[in-house]
Amino acid sequence: MGQGAAAGTPPFAAETAVELVGVGKSFGPVTAVRELSLAIRRGEVLTLLGPSGCGKTTLLNMIAGFEEPSAGRILIDGRDVTEVPPYLRDTGMVFQSYALFPHMDVFENVAFGLRMRKLPKAKIAAEVMRALEMVKLGGLERRRVRQLSGGQQQRVALARAIVLRPKVLLLDEPLSALDKNLRAQMQVELKELHERTRLTTLFVTHDQGEALSLSDRIVVMSRGEIQQIAAPIELYRHPANSFVASFIGEINRLPPARCRLSGGEIVFSLAGIELTAARRDDLALGDGQQVHLFVRPEHLAVAAEAAGGRNRIACRVVTHVYQGTHTLTRVEAGALGVLQLRVPGGAVIERAPPGSEIGVEINLDEAVALPD
Amino acid sequence: MKHRVPRRRPFFLAFLLPSLLAAGLFLAALGDVLQYSFRTFIPGSLDVGGFTLENFLRIGRPIYLSVLLDTVTISVLTALFTLLLSYPVAYALVRARRDWVRTLLIILAITPLFTGEIVRTYAWILVLGSNGFVNSLLKDAGLITAPLSLLYTRFGVTVALVQFSMPVMIILLATAISHVDRNCERAAANLGAPPLMVFWRVTLPLTMPGVISGTIVIFAWTMSAFSTPQLIGGGKVLMISNLVYLQGLSTFNFPFAAVLSLLALLVAMGSLGLIRPAIRRLERRVALH
Repeated sequence: MGQGAAAGTPPFAAETAVELVGVGKSFGPVTAVRELSLAIRRGEVLTLLGPSGCGKTTLLNMIAGFEEPSAGRILIDGRDVTEVPPYLRDTGMVFQSYALFPHMDVFENVAFGLRMRKLPKAKIAAEVMRALEMVKLGGLERRRVRQLSGGQQQRVALARAIVLRPKVLLLDEPLSALDKNLRAQMQVELKELHERTRLTTLFVTHDQGEALSLSDRIVVMSRGEIQQIAAPIELYRHPANSFVASFIGEINRLPPARCRLSGGEIVFSLAGIELTAARRDDLALGDGQQVHLFVRPEHLAVAAEAAGGRNRIACRVVTHVYQGTHTLTRVEAGALGVLQLRVPGGAVIERAPPGSEIGVEINLDEAVALPD
Repeated sequence: MKHRVPRRRPFFLAFLLPSLLAAGLFLAALGDVLQYSFRTFIPGSLDVGGFTLENFLRIGRPIYLSVLLDTVTISVLTALFTLLLSYPVAYALVRARRDWVRTLLIILAITPLFTGEIVRTYAWILVLGSNGFVNSLLKDAGLITAPLSLLYTRFGVTVALVQFSMPVMIILLATAISHVDRNCERAAANLGAPPLMVFWRVTLPLTMPGVISGTIVIFAWTMSAFSTPQLIGGGKVLMISNLVYLQGLSTFNFPFAAVLSLLALLVAMGSLGLIRPAIRRLERRVALH
C-alpha cells in the first residue's frame, strides 16, 4: 500500500501513473521482452497489442510483480516498485482465466482484498455492493462462482479488482474466453466502466478490434519490442512499419513502387502501371524513392467501367464474403496480385459474380507509403 | 421420439469379473470370521464348540478396552502428525523451482515404499533403542545421562508409523496441491494477501479434499497396523492386530480373535462415520467439482 506521488517527484510524475524504464526480461537464453521504456498516463486506457508470444503478458506480469524484470526499473505513482512483492504493489489484475476463488461466493471474492486491508465490516459490505452494482451483478452476491456464466465470472473478476481502486488496473486478455456476442457487449461495458471509474488501465490483447475500440493509446508489440505507440486512429491511418500496417485491420500490400513528384501529385510506378496520389504533408517522399504502398480495402472501389480513368485497373472477381453491412470482395488484379475490396451492401455479389471482369479504382489519398 | 438407450458395453462384465471374484472371496472370509465369533473356545484344541455370545461380552473387560483406546489414539495421532509433516514436503515437491530439488524430494519421499516393512521397522529399532542413534547422540551431547526409553513405547510406535505413512500421504497431498490454480494464488497476492495469508485463505482450502482423504486413508490403515507395533512395541504396546495375533496364534482362541477382528473393523468404520458430517461440511465449503 504505497502512498501517492511523493512531494519531491518532478511535475510530470503527476501525469504518469506507471513508468517502465529500460525494462527487459529474458528466460534463460530466450528474450521475452527487449529492454523498453513506457509511461502509462493517469486515467488512460493503454493497450498492449500483439500476437501471442510478443511479450505483452510478460510485461503485465512484471508490473503486477509476478515476474522479476531482468533489467530496468518499474515505477508506480513515482515509487520504485521493482523489488516490491505483488501484495504491496496496489495493482488490480483481471486474469484471462478470471482466477476466481472457487471456495468462496461472489461476495467473498469481491470482499477478499478489502478484508486483507482490514476495513470495518460495514464498510466492506457497502463497498462490495457498490462494486457489484457497477458491474451489474447486484443480487448475486451469495451465488457460488461455479454457478455463474462466463460473462458473470468476468464481471466478478472485474468487481474484485476495481473495488480496491488500484493504482493501475491490469487486464490480461479479459474477453478472450467469452463468445463473440458477449465479447462485443463486454467491450461496451468495459468502456462505460472506465468512464465511470477513470482507473488507469493497462489492457493486454491480441485482438486488434478490441484494442481499437477500447484504447486511448495502443502499444503494438512484436517479438518483445515496441513497434509503435499511438492513438487508435493514428495507428490505423499512419502505421509506422509494415508489421503494424498488416496487424491493424485489413490491408492490401502492393508490389514495390518508385515515386516521381509531378506538380501537386505523386506518381507511383509499380509493376508496369502508374498510380497517382495527391501530395500530402505526411508523405515526405523524395523523387525516385522506392516505397511499399499499403491500401485499406475501404479505399478500393468497384468502378463503373472496366478500364480507363485515373488509378483504375482491370480485375477478375475471385470470391465474395458477405458481411451484412458490406461485402469483402477478393479480386485478381494482374501484376498487383490479389486485392481485397470492401464494398458497401451486398449488391456486388449479383452484379459481379466470381469470374467476371470489373474495374477497380484505387484511392491512394489515404494510402500508407513505407520506405522499402 | 424415443431415445434409444445405448447397448451396454459387451466387455463391461468381463472387466468387472476379477474384482467381483476378489470381493466374493473377501466376503466369504468375513463370513467365516463372523461365524467363528459365535463359537465356544475349547482350550487346547484347534476345534471350536457350539454357539455362544460370551466372546462378545469378553471385550468389555478393561484390558481389551484399553487396547482399543490405544489403537484409536495411536491412529489419530499418526494421521495428524503424518499430515503435518507431509504437507510441507508435498508442497515443496510440487512447487520447487529446480528440477533436481523435485527429483530429490520424490526419491526421498517414495523410496520408503520400496523397502520392506520389516527392514524399515528394524531400522527404527536401531535408531530408537537404548544404545541407538538418538540416545547415543543425546548422551554424547551431554543432554542426558541415562538413555530415554523410546523403543517399546507408544511414542516410538507412533514415530515409526508416521514415517511408514508419509509416502502415501505425500503422494495424495502432492496431487491435490498440483491441482491448485496458481493464478488463484496470484490473484490473492494481487489483492493484497501476504504469502502466509495466500496459503491460509486459498491454497489450504483448495487442497482440503486431499487433506481429508489422506488423513482418512492413514487413519484407517494405521488402525490395522501389525508389524510396526509388534516389533517396536515389543509386546508393551498392543494394538488391535497384535491382540488378534496373540489370541489367535498364541492361545489359539480363534473365536475371540474373530470378535476382536470384527471389533476393529467396526471401530474403523464407526470412526469414519463419526467424522463424516464434518467432512461433508468442509467439502461443501470447498465445493470443488
